Amino acid sequence: MADDKDVLRDVWFGRIPTCFTLYQDEITEREAEPFYLLLPRVSFLTLVTDKVKKHFLKVMKAEDVEEMWFDFEGTPLKWHYPIGLLFDLHASNTALPWSITVHFKNFPERDLLHCPSNSVIEAHFMSSIKEADALKHKSQVINDMQKKDHKQLWMGLQNDKFDQFWAMNRKLMEYPTEEGGFRYIPFRIYLTMSDRPFIQKLFRPISSDGYTHTLGDLLKEVYPVAISRDDESKRYQVVIHGIEPLLETPLQWLSEHLSHPDNFLHISVIPVPSD
Amino acid sequence: MQRFPHNECVSESSALGLLRMSDKAESPTETQKDEPSTPQQPTEDSGMADDKKKIDVLLKAVGDTPIMKTKKWSVEKGRTVQSLSQFISRFLKMEANEQLFIYVNQSFSPSPDQEVGVLFQCFGSDGKLVLHYCKSQAWG
Repeated sequence: MADDKDVLRDVWFGRIPTCFTLYQDEITEREAEPFYLLLPRVSFLTLVTDKVKKHFLKVMKAEDVEEMWFDFEGTPLKWHYPIGLLFDLHASNTALPWSITVHFKNFPERDLLHCPSNSVIEAHFMSSIKEADALKHKSQVINDMQKKDHKQLWMGLQNDKFDQFWAMNRKLMEYPTEEGGFRYIPFRIYLTMSDRPFIQKLFRPISSDGYTHTLGDLLKEVYPVAISRDDESKRYQVVIHGIEPLLETPLQWLSEHLSHPDNFLHISVIPVPSD
Repeated sequence: MQRFPHNECVSESSALGLLRMSDKAESPTETQKDEPSTPQQPTEDSGMADDKKKIDVLLKAVGDTPIMKTKKWSVEKGRTVQSLSQFISRFLKMEANEQLFIYVNQSFSPSPDQEVGVLFQCFGSDGKLVLHYCKSQAWG
């Protein structure tokens, strides 16, 4: 269907205008100008910020530079979460551009994982895809692929090549016709108001009696707090790629079209702004 | 079935020196709100107890990686993979520069900050989570 393919492109090419400002306590030789960049929603911070690093390194001495890390309003940003998820979760209802603070010292060991090279990002990305396929197909599809096919998925993401990526990824989106969908849906629900990193459980897209589960069904089962009753005003927004899909949307469709390149549906549940 | 060596679980906590991230995961904050509605009566106590609950982990060595004398462990749901990995490394008296790879389903390496409780829910079988560990990359 032409419309559905457009959704895949819209998701892939989503961008967030961002302003990077150097942390005030970093030691510089001259004034550091902010750096503006359009960040791909579906990528990872450490994969797309080489230019940011180069920009600020111009005004700093090498001995004052350790591993680069980012924060938004004091919250360290996890590079291993997709950029779009970080934005939806922390900065959804703030003014654009997204204002991120850049650090080169005092790496927050308890909040962030280290990212010494791109191969760490690749390993993390491929592991997520493998975990997703374990849920969708008992790993059969990903295991049938060759190593070069796996590499193509990563290169597609790294080089922002939609066609290259989807030539392989479409295989991960197939399922036996008689099943009606994947075995289980790879999803993670992130909450701002909880200490738990996220909710992830086994959930079937089609029930044993053939009923098609919706986004609303998923939430009712694993996080009913997100759905307000008829008699009360809406308290939470359920956001995927910056939009609030209708709760009636079939979960299987969401998984096939709104997953991130890692094949997971990353869902943010955020409080409705009170202004 | 082998009895869980509870004393070893206590030494697990002290040996680990409690990685901060898993500390955060353990502290029960808004857990009651987060629990999905179940047919059972959700009392305050059962909510907290659920959060403190432990899951059974079976550790399997891959290749010529040393085998742990005790393979079956009772681990708190909120423990992270990184925390467990550090425990295994210390138990096996590995060098600081030696890496340890952890695998689920003999297919993927979970993120270090992933909670074992979540892995158990999604990939556990026969009431336990089987994790393979290896000094080198086994399944890419």
